[in-house]
Amino acid sequence: MRFSVASTLLALATVASAASSWTFSDGTVKVLSKAGNDAVEKFSGVDRVQNTLTLGHQDKLKVTLTTKDGSTAKRPHQAFLVVKEASGLEAPFPLTVKDSGKGTVEISQKDLPVQLLLSQEPLEASLVLASFGSSKGSVTPVFDFTVKLDAATSAPSYEKPLRYGKLAEIHHIFRADPKNPPKIVSITFALAVLATVPALFIGWFALGGNFTHVQKALGNAPISHVVFFGSIVAMEGVFFLYYTQWNLFQTLPAIGAVGVAAFLSGTKALGEVQRRRLAGER
Amino acid sequence: MWSLLSVAAALFAAAASAVSTGGSRLLVVLDDVAEKDTYGQFLGDLTARGFDVSYETPRSEGLTLFHLGERKYDHLLFLPSKVKGLGPNLTPNRLVDFVNAQGNILLALSSTVPTSTSLVSLLSELDISLPIERTGTVVDHFNYDTVSAAESHDVLVLDAPSNVRPGLKSYFEVPGGVLAFPHAVGHVLGAGPLLTPVVRAPATAYTYNPKEQAEVLDADDLFAAGQQLALVSVVQARNSARVTVLGSAEMLQDKWLDAKVTKVGGKSVKADNKEFARRVAGWTFQEIGVLRVNSIEHKLQETEELNPEIYRIKNDVSYAISLSEYSWDKWVPFTLPEDDVLQLEFSMLSPFHRLNLALTGTTEDAAVYGISFTLPDQHGIFNFKVNYKRPYLTYVEEKNTVSVRHFAHDEWPRSFVISGAWPWISGIGATVSGFVGFCAIWMYSKPVGKSVGKKN
Repeated sequence: MRFSVASTLLALATVASAASSWTFSDGTVKVLSKAGNDAVEKFSGVDRVQNTLTLGHQDKLKVTLTTKDGSTAKRPHQAFLVVKEASGLEAPFPLTVKDSGKGTVEISQKDLPVQLLLSQEPLEASLVLASFGSSKGSVTPVFDFTVKLDAATSAPSYEKPLRYGKLAEIHHIFRADPKNPPKIVSITFALAVLATVPALFIGWFALGGNFTHVQKALGNAPISHVVFFGSIVAMEGVFFLYYTQWNLFQTLPAIGAVGVAAFLSGTKALGEVQRRRLAGER
Repeated sequence: MWSLLSVAAALFAAAASAVSTGGSRLLVVLDDVAEKDTYGQFLGDLTARGFDVSYETPRSEGLTLFHLGERKYDHLLFLPSKVKGLGPNLTPNRLVDFVNAQGNILLALSSTVPTSTSLVSLLSELDISLPIERTGTVVDHFNYDTVSAAESHDVLVLDAPSNVRPGLKSYFEVPGGVLAFPHAVGHVLGAGPLLTPVVRAPATAYTYNPKEQAEVLDADDLFAAGQQLALVSVVQARNSARVTVLGSAEMLQDKWLDAKVTKVGGKSVKADNKEFARRVAGWTFQEIGVLRVNSIEHKLQETEELNPEIYRIKNDVSYAISLSEYSWDKWVPFTLPEDDVLQLEFSMLSPFHRLNLALTGTTEDAAVYGISFTLPDQHGIFNFKVNYKRPYLTYVEEKNTVSVRHFAHDEWPRSFVISGAWPWISGIGATVSGFVGFCAIWMYSKPVGKSVGKKN
């Protein structure tokens, strides 16, 4: 609730000072305190209270004054002490006014709405006096006061009511992408792994490994050896295709075909190898 | 489905022959049918706008709001009536049923006539409270009409209202105008989100009972004062049915529609009651502020297939919603009020995204709002949800459910593009070449040392 009425009220107050108008005299505001910070201040239509009063949790704020129509003491229909918070929220407190124009009102913390109790700025109290007929009403700011909450109990709270309106934007926070180590590290280790292949072959050759019997084997069983060794290489080729583009249903028949070829040619090729072994050539 | 709906809506609109989206049957309930002449201009204006107006008194025998379970009228207008209760046909229960059946009610109150208990109960159902004694007059000794209420100060002259907060449509704003509220009843609103005050009393106004509190206003008996006191308030129920409380019925009377009023210390000016009354009635009877969703489209960016049922996480999608607004007699493109946004939520239980939609195009009678965004990296059943609820506008709550699946096994990046996998891939290569080399050596190696030894 945002109302900016202070300026209009002031403007009205100045207008109201002309001709017959509602005023007051003997304005007094008292703080009746059990904690010992009593205060008494006087105010009039032109002089507001300069000091900011303090209203403790056991204190009472008592305002007394005499209302006047022009210069005669009289009771107006509307005699409100309006307490206003900095945002413009107001709470009216009607004065009890006698026929003689003597009016009083008492405010304690339990009379104030929660929003006013929680105000950070001092609350401004102004006096509204007006009635029917031609006498002009008056709005007079009279004093300021701050609310000092009881430190022993928790501060009152209130829930902001739901109002339909736009809400804050939400942007989903995505999980971070998986990270790779620096490429140079990966390349170094990949090369180190690949370097074991030549190292393995050099080791074998150093121990006396060789391919010298290729011609002999091909001479004894040429087709079997070509097909058997070819099927071993082809099986690796099938696995490579499975890795790059084939699915399982393309891969399995190919494995079957290569496997049958390896089995049929393998019996002959490995038989030839066995004969060489038995002949002491291995 | 959406196109079908919009066609149906268009047909319906055509059938209603350009009056209100809610229908044209209006029932005016007033004390004496002859009294309608005092409201001649206002009611004549309604008839001219295409409303089919019937008049009844609360006492009339044949008065029912429902016939065979269907509403007999689309709108109700209550003018002040002296009867204490409105009788068995207009119990608060029936009136609430009427609102639940999407009927609209305009309640005009007056402080010269005590408000019927039925209406007081109806209002308390809506969390609106009237002064307990049912007759409260709002007076303001600072803003009154010096011509007609120099002594009693009960004809309020107010600057035309501005919206209570930003982000609302300016249906009730009459820039630079003044309104006269003769013999107004003030009311106090609860904290609910469905209630919106349109005109609030000035800071110096208060309400009192002229019978009992004419001399002294006892400090304990003050009902409300200042801006807490509302003079005109609107309620839009969850089904978008509307109830308006107009604090001063007399402002609808012919003599006040164009009355000349004079503020304290001001000049004589013409009150804008006529325009304001037209807007209050137009809003209540669903002639303005009615929204229609024409279509909703969501799709994968750079594809043509509309509204698929399944997306994948992290897909780039675009969403578009087409909205029209009814303005007196035709559908026009809906424009957002200043300082307001249309928001899309992409939600599973709670929103993962809440994004402001931007205007992407307008046609003759529709405006398209849209946005492109990336779906969250969470699979599940999600909703594209537009939950546009604002005071003064019929509620839009549109939910389109889609599945969001995770990556399929062949949608991930291949291992050879991941640099961290290179040592492992080269390990496989090394194993394969080592195996093939081992097979060759095992089969074709000539035993060097041994055979030489044997031969020697």
